[in-house]
Amino acid sequence: MVDFGILLQIVFWGVYAGCIYILLATGLNLIFGVMKVVNFAHGEFLMIGAYITATIFFITGINPYAIILLSMLALIAIGAVVERLCFRPILGTGKLNEIFLSIGLIYIIQNSAAVIWGDEWQSIKSPYEGVSIPIGSLNVPLDYIIIMVVTAGILVGLWLFLKRTKIGREMRATSQNRKGAMLVGINVERMDIISFGIGCALAAAAGTLWVVSGQVFNPYMGSIPAIKAFAIIILGGLGSIPGAIVGGLLYGIAENGAAYYFGGIWKDAVSFILLIIVLVIRPTGLFGESGE
Amino acid sequence: MKYSVLFIAIALIATAFIAGCTQQAPAQEIKVGVIASLTGPASNVGKNMWQSAQVAADEINAKGGVSLKDGSKVPLKLIVGDDESTQQGGQKAATQLITGDKVDILVGGYSSAVTSAYEQTVAEYKIPFIVTGASSPIITHRTDIDTSYVYHHCPTTDSYGQYTTTFIDQVVRPAVNKKLGAAADRPFRLALIYQDTAFGKGVQSAVNNTITKNKLNIQLVSQQSFKMGESDFRTPLTAIKAAKPDAVYIAAFPNEGAPLITQARRDIGLDTIFLSVENNDNAQFYKDLGQYGEGSIIESRFSPYTAPVGTLADAQAKFKNSYNAKYGVFPDMMGASTYEGIYIAAQAIGNAGTTDKAAVRQALVDLNMPQVIEAMNGGTISFSKDFRESQFDLWMEQLAFNQTIGECRPNIVWPDNLKVVDFVLPSWYKPGSA
Repeated sequence: MVDFGILLQIVFWGVYAGCIYILLATGLNLIFGVMKVVNFAHGEFLMIGAYITATIFFITGINPYAIILLSMLALIAIGAVVERLCFRPILGTGKLNEIFLSIGLIYIIQNSAAVIWGDEWQSIKSPYEGVSIPIGSLNVPLDYIIIMVVTAGILVGLWLFLKRTKIGREMRATSQNRKGAMLVGINVERMDIISFGIGCALAAAAGTLWVVSGQVFNPYMGSIPAIKAFAIIILGGLGSIPGAIVGGLLYGIAENGAAYYFGGIWKDAVSFILLIIVLVIRPTGLFGESGE
Repeated sequence: MKYSVLFIAIALIATAFIAGCTQQAPAQEIKVGVIASLTGPASNVGKNMWQSAQVAADEINAKGGVSLKDGSKVPLKLIVGDDESTQQGGQKAATQLITGDKVDILVGGYSSAVTSAYEQTVAEYKIPFIVTGASSPIITHRTDIDTSYVYHHCPTTDSYGQYTTTFIDQVVRPAVNKKLGAAADRPFRLALIYQDTAFGKGVQSAVNNTITKNKLNIQLVSQQSFKMGESDFRTPLTAIKAAKPDAVYIAAFPNEGAPLITQARRDIGLDTIFLSVENNDNAQFYKDLGQYGEGSIIESRFSPYTAPVGTLADAQAKFKNSYNAKYGVFPDMMGASTYEGIYIAAQAIGNAGTTDKAAVRQALVDLNMPQVIEAMNGGTISFSKDFRESQFDLWMEQLAFNQTIGECRPNIVWPDNLKVVDFVLPSWYKPGSA
């Protein structure tokens, strides 16, 4: 007999984990959608975002939720530089180049972070630590509610940006048909740099929420979340932002459900089993279109 | 032209003569390879091990080094090999140290999975290896390779799993029964959460075996596992809470143990006693844990913040102060055993009077040296005849939150001959079920 209260808690922890995956995967999908590049180093931007937030918090002591904006802005700039110096020169030269470039970036970024911040595990304390809100049978720590609200807020902001602004429309046009966008006068290289910057900023937001939730971090933390983000965008459909959101939530709930019912070692495996099932039934992913 | 040929011939003969002299000359230094995780997830512990080894070598070299049979005193030269916290990295580091740097002896090794991966190379080249961090008994119990050159100088998961379970039975169980007003035969409800590796499974096996073998009145109500490096434990903790345990035994590394306890107390509301294995007794663990460590238990043999009263207190303080003066932080227990590992290596080579590998191995077999900074069974360091394991005296610490520093600090609560204060159940403690 399944205890409804426990089931609710597992779903809650799944949604929390899903929030971080959604932000990471949405950024990755945005970059893939516009540039069609495979960036295995995306998890390293989550790591940089985590460190920027922690560093500012350690120095100033200001509310880490307020630092999320600074962290995102910093990563827009870093992402733009990486796009301009690393990805643009090899764009269109083949997927192997992109893969090896991004693998190289993983090592460069990880080791640079280890030199700057050291490679010990670190953690920070949220100002709302210890504050809980009763929701039904659950006594939910306030931090997780804030994390879910912040994630929803960022996604709504991204949706408005893509739907209501000129740049957003141009990005969507570039994503749908790069050559067509060029023909109608859209500066696609500008779209590349903007999408890469926004993608990195979303990873920074994920990194900030990671550290605020009390999870430990070090320079090597980004690799596993990046692999999961790739699985999520394949699950949800390459290039589809709604797919990344649904995929992230499914992934978070599936892995927490697996950890509860089958043990922690099945946490990752069950999520990839889910991915295989979806791909067998629908090879383009949940929200993907053929040809992506 | 004639003179040039003559000059070259003389130069070649001189070079050959000098080279010949060099080969005949006695050892100028003793090369000690230190295998530690300087990068990767275990780098925090790995650096501590490497830096502790350097403190020991500096002390030995300041006294002139190691005396050999020919009467010469030879300094130690440490060469570090970074296992990168991976099996491949460990294999690479061991091969380089053995075949490239041609070390005389090896010290170190942290993760059991990583260490056991390069043991094959150690066996093949017959290099004496003093393991000071990897705690799985398989390190010297395995039979698929020749481990006769491997000597285990840290407690195994068998020994501390058994020790902690005995503490639970003798100290925690009566205290919980007293709080509940329950009968003395009420089964104690223990939950176990362990890293899914040789280390974690070793602890799990030791706990189960101790309960069965000694017929302890302890019921394992939940056994949860997690991947090495995991940082989100909320779901397995939810499962543990549902099993209503009286205490939770954690077999994890410090970077896992601190968030695990924090998430249990803060997010899940699991207000119980957490018992951690000894590798968690380091400064970073206390820092990460904050107030959530209050009331927790750590099985230990060396702590940055406490020491058993007696003769070893001064030796430990000296090591901690030397380390702190050099690196600005306190050493942890993997550092302490590696520090001792260098002393053991020096003593074995000194006893053998040579760096010949077989002679050094025999010296390790016959070793009987006074304890250095950690409490050893009988006050001496020697290796058991069957599995070449040294025997430590362990103790249990309970953490108390210090408002002034914002961190917990340990007090020894068991065994009786070492304890400073009594074990207490915190006021917020909630037992499993009556």
